[in-house]
Amino acid sequence: MAVTRLSYMSIYALDIAASEKHYTDVVGLRVTGRQLGQVYLQAHESQDHHCIILNASDRAGLDHVGFKVSDINDLTEAEIAARDWGLVTRRIASADILGQGDGLMITLPSGHVFNLFYHSEKVGYSYGMKDPDIILDHVDGISPVTHLDHALLAGNDCDKSVKFLMEALDFNLTETILGPDGSSFAFFLTTSSTVHNLAFAPGPPNSLHHIAFYVNDRADVIRRVDMLKHRKITTLDYGISRHGIGGVTTTYFFDPSGNRNEFQCGIYEAPTIRGNVPPIVWAGEHIPRGAFYYESAVPANFFEVVT
Amino acid sequence: MSLLHRGIHRLGYAWIAVKDSRLLKTRKFYTSELGLLETGSEPHRVTFRCWHEPYKFSFVVDHRDTPGLVEIGFHVRDDNDLDSFQKKLAEAGVTVERADANSVLQGLGKSIAFTVPAGPRIRLFATMDMLGYVSGYEGPDWVAPKALRGMAAPLNINHVAFTSPDPAQANAFFSDVLGFLASEKVVDEAGKTISSLLFRMAKNVGGQEVAIYPGKEVKLHHVAFTKEDASDIMADGYYLRSDGVAIDLLGPLRQPYGNTFSLHFYDSNGIRLELCSGGRMTEVHPEIQPVVWSKAHLREALSYYDEALVPEEFFLPCV
Repeated sequence: MAVTRLSYMSIYALDIAASEKHYTDVVGLRVTGRQLGQVYLQAHESQDHHCIILNASDRAGLDHVGFKVSDINDLTEAEIAARDWGLVTRRIASADILGQGDGLMITLPSGHVFNLFYHSEKVGYSYGMKDPDIILDHVDGISPVTHLDHALLAGNDCDKSVKFLMEALDFNLTETILGPDGSSFAFFLTTSSTVHNLAFAPGPPNSLHHIAFYVNDRADVIRRVDMLKHRKITTLDYGISRHGIGGVTTTYFFDPSGNRNEFQCGIYEAPTIRGNVPPIVWAGEHIPRGAFYYESAVPANFFEVVT
Repeated sequence: MSLLHRGIHRLGYAWIAVKDSRLLKTRKFYTSELGLLETGSEPHRVTFRCWHEPYKFSFVVDHRDTPGLVEIGFHVRDDNDLDSFQKKLAEAGVTVERADANSVLQGLGKSIAFTVPAGPRIRLFATMDMLGYVSGYEGPDWVAPKALRGMAAPLNINHVAFTSPDPAQANAFFSDVLGFLASEKVVDEAGKTISSLLFRMAKNVGGQEVAIYPGKEVKLHHVAFTKEDASDIMADGYYLRSDGVAIDLLGPLRQPYGNTFSLHFYDSNGIRLELCSGGRMTEVHPEIQPVVWSKAHLREALSYYDEALVPEEFFLPCV
């Protein structure tokens, strides 16, 4: 069958209590599990066990990325494919990570580790799965983020990781940014019908640029920026903006460890299947408008700051 | 490589019929009121697409003496999918018609068509002509073309809702034969499905490409188009109302069933249309669980604000 969607991000936390508070109070997730040195969280309108794993650590950044597949046998196929590509793989047991089944860890050429797995325990939507009252009281009257939308990873050899994900795991390239030499240096990839589940850009090896959570309404993005400012959360220079790439409404901010988060709203419907619709290309003078549409300029530290 | 996204990956088009002999009212409504782009015409037929769609059409309107739903088109990956669906459909005892490219609709590749038991006619295709994004492929402004501003100008077709004399049977066929999954359903006292929202895509404003409602016959209930959010839909309602478009009794609607914020209204021929936002992020995964509504909670499932006003005839088809 196939890779279905980005399921979770397992990240490091310098002060795990402060991070837990951030992801519950500021982002608006709920805690769904704990074990020694780890906190598991999920969005209120997502039904799987977790979309974030916080790992107590002396550093910030990414531990690994979780993607689901739609058939248990996909793990063996992915294992064979990854080995054919010369990538290191390792099986993990269901007991290793709370709330999910057996997994296949693959280390990509860019150093990022992916965990492919089939089964997640179901925590259900916060308001229940039967005759629900769909309005929740959480997050100061703002509609909660509905799901983990995408992540931007940074590293060396991202083009090699992208090639593997496209050719072996059937990811599709929806948009790309070209460098002066005409080759792609940033990649927006999907396994579904949204503009990206995952993106890659150049940066320090095996690093994390941001994790994005989906907000259903642009008015809620505005209200969320108001609350970030009110709570003195560190944000990007542009309070609210729109990415030309994908045409989505966005704001960036940081968790207590310095990992960048994003709230995003946008309904871009992307082609799931490779080879049907050509990818959108951003090059030269178009790039600043692609990054930040209104300002058409990229803040100095936007690409440099990663964890 | 077999880790491929196979089967249906996209709602391709809704094809309806209206009684409008030269289709002049139809053209005017869809291009100057709703804000679609006209992409082709034949005698008694006009095709449209939404501005964010790269393919030739997502909405087809014929002039016919009997108005209603003609068929729903779904895009599959390739010819292998067409072959395997043909086999699967034959095994399910359904008559399948194969059609050559451009023989049924101009711009459509070769296809197979069949009728879902207690459901509508469906066509599966692997290729459709592409006109390309109106905003181009190099540094596009993902902004509605100026000529469409002041109109709803939806970004995509979202779903097609139809009535069925046996929703459980239609639901089972969509699930078992066509691979659809339910994001939500309504069950009666005996636990039998009387309505369901089914998907094959994982899209924002997601959870349904087809909606099955209970009814006497297989008829069109509505065709829905995607909008970015609730504020947009409130403004779209001003424009439509100021031009005298008939808006559904409930007005702007927060609908727990499907988790949408929407507006229902009627085209110049009485076809019910919907602009919708919100929805659910779904996953094409066998373990996904639907929200289940009991029949006793149907009114509150259909309208969060105006449950007392939900008419008894809510599920009646439009034409």
